[in-house]
Amino acid sequence: MNPDLDLTLQRTIRAPRAVVWSAWTDPDRFAKWFIPAPMVCVVDRLEARPGGALVTRMSEDGVAFVPHVDAIFLVVDNLERIVFTNAIDSAWRPALPAPVPMTAEIVLADHPEGTDYRVVVRHGDPSARERHEKLGFFDGWNMVTTQLAQSVE
Amino acid sequence: MAQYSAQLDGLFDALADPTRRGVIRRLGRGPASVGDLAGEFPMTLPSFLKHVRALESAGIIRTSKAGRVRTCVLNRERLALAEDWLAEQRRIWEERTDRLEQFVAGTEEDPS
Repeated sequence: MNPDLDLTLQRTIRAPRAVVWSAWTDPDRFAKWFIPAPMVCVVDRLEARPGGALVTRMSEDGVAFVPHVDAIFLVVDNLERIVFTNAIDSAWRPALPAPVPMTAEIVLADHPEGTDYRVVVRHGDPSARERHEKLGFFDGWNMVTTQLAQSVE
Repeated sequence: MAQYSAQLDGLFDALADPTRRGVIRRLGRGPASVGDLAGEFPMTLPSFLKHVRALESAGIIRTSKAGRVRTCVLNRERLALAEDWLAEQRRIWEERTDRLEQFVAGTEEDPS
């Protein structure tokens, strides 16, 4: 957790852990709360296991749907913890998602009044790609390509 | 929107360094000269000046020269862009958690 870039929130949810868990892992239930009403959420894939896909679309009018989340689960510990990231898409390809690449960790624990619900959303550097470029990715490739050319010419 | 995104790129690039965050923290207490600031960080002056320039080009600090002394001042408005962006992300997750709570509370009362 890096306080400069990460967000945390904690809430006591007055429902048993198993109910909260099923709201996260059952596609029909998940679609009911993940996007604010009146927007409509369609869950295309929700495979709550490491490497499994999380793909949703959303619609303002219930007719035209646009992509929403295309992510994979990294960790799924039954009734305890879910970690997913949209920095890798559901086909396991590195992604540059809009509006923001992130890793979200959701931790559930028992609480006398229900469920202790904690979220940590980790953000990287939004300009990682540009930085890679500045750090010399292209310079490096130009140099070795030039060297290769010189060695064979 | 694209311009806003480019500004955020510059901001977070500048924030993604412990020395620069240290300078921001220090300037949060008030303006300081480059010389005084440099004394607080274990590196050569040229290296430190690179960090100052990075902060200045990202708009996070302003500097002004009086005689031989260059003074740095925090630009809080610029820093607020990053705060606003993070607050927006937090709001999304808090609202999501509110809806989850309403949904599971309703699920429990209505065992259909």
